[in-house]
Parts: sequence; C-alpha cells; structure tokens
Amino acid sequence: MKTRHYFLLGVGLALIFTAILGATVFARPYAYQGSIIDPPLQVGDFELVDQYEQPFRMSEYLESDPDIRAVLVFFGYTYCPDVCPITLIEFKQVKTLLGEQAEHLRFVFITVDPERDDPEKLRRHLDIYDPTFVGLTGDQTRLEEVWYRFGVFQAKQEVGSSGGYLVDHTSRVYVLDRNGDIGLTFGFGMGSDAMAQDLRQKIRQSTR
Amino acid sequence: MKNPILTLALRRLLIVTVIGLGLTLLFNEGFFRLQRESHDRPPQEVVLLIPEGTSQRVAQGEPVPSIPEEMIFVVGDVLVVRNQDTESHQLGPLWVPALSSASLNLDEPMQYVYKCSFQTSSYMGLEVKTPTTLGTRFQGLFLAAPATIIFLFLYSLLLYPLQPAAPKAVGGDSSSEYVRQKKASESNLDKGEK
Repeated sequence: MKTRHYFLLGVGLALIFTAILGATVFARPYAYQGSIIDPPLQVGDFELVDQYEQPFRMSEYLESDPDIRAVLVFFGYTYCPDVCPITLIEFKQVKTLLGEQAEHLRFVFITVDPERDDPEKLRRHLDIYDPTFVGLTGDQTRLEEVWYRFGVFQAKQEVGSSGGYLVDHTSRVYVLDRNGDIGLTFGFGMGSDAMAQDLRQKIRQSTR
Repeated sequence: MKNPILTLALRRLLIVTVIGLGLTLLFNEGFFRLQRESHDRPPQEVVLLIPEGTSQRVAQGEPVPSIPEEMIFVVGDVLVVRNQDTESHQLGPLWVPALSSASLNLDEPMQYVYKCSFQTSSYMGLEVKTPTTLGTRFQGLFLAAPATIIFLFLYSLLLYPLQPAAPKAVGGDSSSEYVRQKKASESNLDKGEK
C-alpha cells in the first residue's frame, strides 16, 4: 500500500467520523424547554381594558397585526414584590435576545388584582419595563372569566403590612399562537434564555 | 510520493488504530457491563394518564391507584401527561388543561418534589438521571480511542523502531545481501579507525 493510499484512507475515515458526529448533533429535532399543550387549548376571545383605558379584544388585537406570531400572556399585579417584576424583566430580556425577531412577539400582562390595578396604575408600572407591553384590567366578573379560561389561580393574602394585601397567583407564562390558542407554557424560573430559544423556534415554525 | 519511513509510519499507525480501537472498545464495554444500572436505557416518551374523576377522588382524599407517587426518568425523556379529567391539573411547571395533554422535555439531571394536583398528598417526586446510552458509549470510545492510539503508537516506536526494508540485491536474497553489505561497511569502518 502506497503512502498516498494510507493518506486517502485516513482522510476517508476522518470524513466518515465527522459525518456521523454531525448527523448525531444536527439531526435532532428541536426539543422545547417549555411545556407543550397538545392539542392547543382554545381559550376563546375576551375583552378587557388596556393601560390607555381603551377596550382590548384579543381577536382584534391578533387580526390587526399580521406580524404577530405569538403573544406571551402573564397574570400578575403591580404591587407584586417578587414573581411579577422578575417575569417582566425576563420579558424585556427575551425581547432583547430575540432582536429583530421580537417584532413577531407581543407581551400582555393581565392583572389578578383589579381592585388596585386600574389602567393608570398599570400604565405607570409597565412604563418602567417597556411601554410596548400591554397591561389589561377590567371588572372582577370579566377578569374571573379570563382567569378561569387560562386556569389561573389567585387568592388574596392579608399580611398586615402597610403595603396592604398580597395576592397569591399562578406564575406561569402562556404563549398564544395567532389563533389565540395556548400551545406552549413556561414555568416560573425557566429563564429568559430558554424562553427566547423556544420562542425563536415557535416563530420559525409559524412562519413556514 | 515515495518516502519509505512515512509509509512505514502510516502502516504502523493503521495497525495501531485497529488495535487501539479494539482495546478501548473492550475496556469500555467491560466496565459498562460491570456498572450497568436499571435506568441505563435510551430516552423515551413516558406517558402519565390522569383518569376521569381524579379531581373528585383527590378532593375526597382517595388515592388514584394508576398514578405513582414517584417517577424516575432519564435525561432526554419526554414526560407526557394526558388529562382525561374534566378539571385542569398541575404537576410543578406542567399545566395540563382538561381533556388535553402537556409534555415536558427532561433535559437535565434533577431530583424534585413537585406540587401536584392529582395526588392526595399534593406532591409528587420526579427524579431525572443521566443514562449510559449507546451514544454515551460511542462518545466514550471516541474520546478514549485517540489517546490510546497515540500512546500505543509511541510505545510501539520505542519497542520496534521504524526500519526501512533492505535494498533489493540483483540476483540474490535481498536480506542476506543487505546484511553482508552492512557487515562489510562496518568492518571497513573498524579498519579505518585502527
């Protein structure tokens, strides 16, 4: 066997090894880090009031902008000391991480404390994070209907502090598709990096 | 390209590669068989079924026999919770609407006790372990083999240095001719020194 043959054999083996390695790494389908709901849950349309005191209807909101591929919905309240600020900061980070792709996303914050969260309070609160975030409130009955459809738990907790009561609530983030259905949820603490990766994939899928 | 030393080196490397791969495979597989555990299986989809009427049973404090209190997974498993109940259920980060299913990719080793709505104890233990799969074994082989091959190759050079074949003599046995010529040159050298 000549030297050239050994060389070619070596190159051939290296190519086969690289091909096997590449196929193993890149052929895997994307694995979502959030929780996939199958079939997607149809939450139906709902109407509330946004932070500019304008009526907000989800179906109209989705129809008004063909760029929207996903809407991130979070339930919280402006007096929340922990979970809500963290989630809103994560929303902001997700937006930054996605860069130009973020134009396909919308962020909606629905109150679980309508007693204190009026539109004005919501507007001032969301302006701290990102004025493009949509804040929604409304009367107790309408909100209860929305909470129920999203499976949201909320309960007042009297803590006897000067700041008033706290509200225990679901900390999950719901990802609505263009039809307004929930196909993906993110548990609290998942992190903005993981959320951004999943959303990038979601946007890619819905663009196809 | 005719470099006898290079040809010999490449031939030696090829032989040593085969031996090195064989040895690494033997050791890897041997130790794998010795240390094998029950969770050493490839990742798969694990389905957990929440039967109809679960929420009523849980509210009455009755256990749901089909749902285990602890589950062990391997990294890469997908937990699919199918909810046949008329109420939505929750298992830690997993929220399963009524008559729907939710899935979660278990991507990293962990040991958690999650709050759970379909257990009378309200909690469920989840453990995700790292399995030794065929892929892991191949990975081990490809990580260990190059070092073994290089080691064997260098060791072989020490034991059996590379020597090019003797030049072919016309009309005679090449090796004996080579030895004869070498001896002659050595004796000439000795004479010169004297």
